[in-house]
Amino acid sequence: MTFEQLVFYFLASVAVIAAGLVITVRNPVRAALFLILTFFTVAVIWLLLEAEFLAIVLVLVYVGAVMVLFLFVVMMLDIDTDQLREGFAEYLPIGATVAVIILLQLVIVFSFGPFDLEQMPAPAAAAVDYSNTHQLGLLLYTYYVYPFELAAVLLLLAMVAAIALSLRGRLSAKRQRPDAQVRVRKEDRLRIVKMNAEKQD
Amino acid sequence: MIALSDYLILGAILFSISVTGIYLNRKNVIILLMSIELMLLSVNLNFIAFSYYLNDLAGQVFVFFILTVAAAESAIGLAIIIVLFRRRHTINIEDLDSLKG
Amino acid sequence: MPEWILYLLDFLPDWDWLHVLLIALIKVVAIFIPLVVAVAYLPYAERKIIGYMQIRIGPNRVGPRGWLQPIADALKLILKEIIVPTKSNKYLFILAPILAMGPAIAVWSVIPFTDTLVLADINAGLLFVLAVSSIGVYGIIIAGWASNSKYAFLSAMRASAQIVSYELAMGFALVTVLMAAGSLNLREIVLAQSGGLTNWYLWPLFPMFMVYFISGVAETNRAPFDVAEGESEIVAGFHVEYSGMTFAVFFLAEYANMILIATLTSLMFLGGWMSPFGAASDIIILGDGIHWLLLKTSFLLFFFLWFRATFPRYRYDQIMRLGWKVFLPLTIFWIVFMGVMMFLTPWGYLFH
Repeated sequence: MTFEQLVFYFLASVAVIAAGLVITVRNPVRAALFLILTFFTVAVIWLLLEAEFLAIVLVLVYVGAVMVLFLFVVMMLDIDTDQLREGFAEYLPIGATVAVIILLQLVIVFSFGPFDLEQMPAPAAAAVDYSNTHQLGLLLYTYYVYPFELAAVLLLLAMVAAIALSLRGRLSAKRQRPDAQVRVRKEDRLRIVKMNAEKQD
Repeated sequence: MIALSDYLILGAILFSISVTGIYLNRKNVIILLMSIELMLLSVNLNFIAFSYYLNDLAGQVFVFFILTVAAAESAIGLAIIIVLFRRRHTINIEDLDSLKG
Repeated sequence: MPEWILYLLDFLPDWDWLHVLLIALIKVVAIFIPLVVAVAYLPYAERKIIGYMQIRIGPNRVGPRGWLQPIADALKLILKEIIVPTKSNKYLFILAPILAMGPAIAVWSVIPFTDTLVLADINAGLLFVLAVSSIGVYGIIIAGWASNSKYAFLSAMRASAQIVSYELAMGFALVTVLMAAGSLNLREIVLAQSGGLTNWYLWPLFPMFMVYFISGVAETNRAPFDVAEGESEIVAGFHVEYSGMTFAVFFLAEYANMILIATLTSLMFLGGWMSPFGAASDIIILGDGIHWLLLKTSFLLFFFLWFRATFPRYRYDQIMRLGWKVFLPLTIFWIVFMGVMMFLTPWGYLFH
């Protein structure tokens, strides 16, 4: 067993166990944390496949941003988890059956299809100065430039939509207006009243 | 050396786990969203494995777009969950039946 | 690599990967130990500097001039009991400080100290830095949640929202650096700034330098952006419930992150190990070398401490406004401006 295989089987088993825990643990926060672990291990597996850019982007975007969002929502919402887990055992048999059937079909296809090392050998390791990011950038900015722009517009749309959906205008919030504060002059605030001294008796 | 089928089978296992997750947690929208993310991840793993073994970067470009769309999807999905929770004080799918005919 | 280490390696079984692993491990230790010493002495420096700024002396009891203060502090924290709050989530409670510390150290694997002195010279070094440092936020979120305490949770929410927001501004500021250098490799970014003081990216990218450094201060939850710890509002923030060594790890992670931000700023904008006098100097101390990197990093670290001694704490909504409504638009505008300058006007050479 080579070092790469050792790494692959270790990471694969961690990913599978973590993914299994994502769908079975009782607490959604823990589910989110296990999902993070799954993403992380799969990102390292992508490194084995020489997809450095996407592996790092997966960590950056999913682990660094999307899962933080998930954790925020899960932690802030006051969810009754027991009620949400009703019917968990009830659906276990049918869920497991469907999953096992899908898995068996896929495994049979992959095992007997043309996917083993004889028919599809692993390509030679890339040259030292090969930059996955550079190659992907060349492809994205030339051949796929319109889909790329479209994806950017989609992200902008998602951002606007998410903000518009969850924004709650708070009229009661007190705001500081620095410009007004800076522009304020003595005359606006201070009134000097001339009055005669009065004798106190 | 690791064969392509190893990666594909790993992807298949992750995919079937997420299918089970959708069956098991059919009342909890957040876990459902997580299962969908897991599903997309397994599909992405397949794309990258094929891209490596066929020596074609188009697979990675595809993964790039899937990541974009999935990030947008989860952002909007979570925003919808927040709005839902504000209105109904629950994220149980069973209770979301006001459109029932 | 000294001869005797290679000599020792000859005695080991002939597995290639074991050799690679051992050599990498030795390099990791060689980076890690000076880092830990620096992290231990930075709080001491902070207390001394702030002391003098406030016309006090600062720690001066343990050892000559208080030099042994960090060791005394470390001993105290090691000997203290670790209290796990009732109904807290024990595994996560212990995991959180490790998750905060891990990324702060892992990033050092791609930091180039000189042209040749780097553990892993990877192509996407800048992306790696961004990705790994974005994991650090989990330590804080998990600490706040697992503590089962209102203050800790509030602070974790504040801190993570702050960190995630400022990460955007930092990322965009770094995009301008990589536009100028044309590379994601940290070593090449520094090499692109060779040739003395005037070639540093500090000058063409000055607004981005400011944005990056201020965001860095916010990112590490340091004063004046330390609402996450705000002693006067939420007692001590996300680590209220932590004691003994678990607290010490959070504390060290904060200082490790400060050193990291200072080092990255000097790599990206101040020319890293490049001498401000250019490489042609005859006197060896004025030539390029790791001492310049250390000097620049210490200089920036001094700013961190100076800020803390000078500025009052920002209010939380002001912090968020600064991040989202000032820094983010500024960085995006600068990227567009730079792109137009570089490719559509003859003044593009200014940014190279």
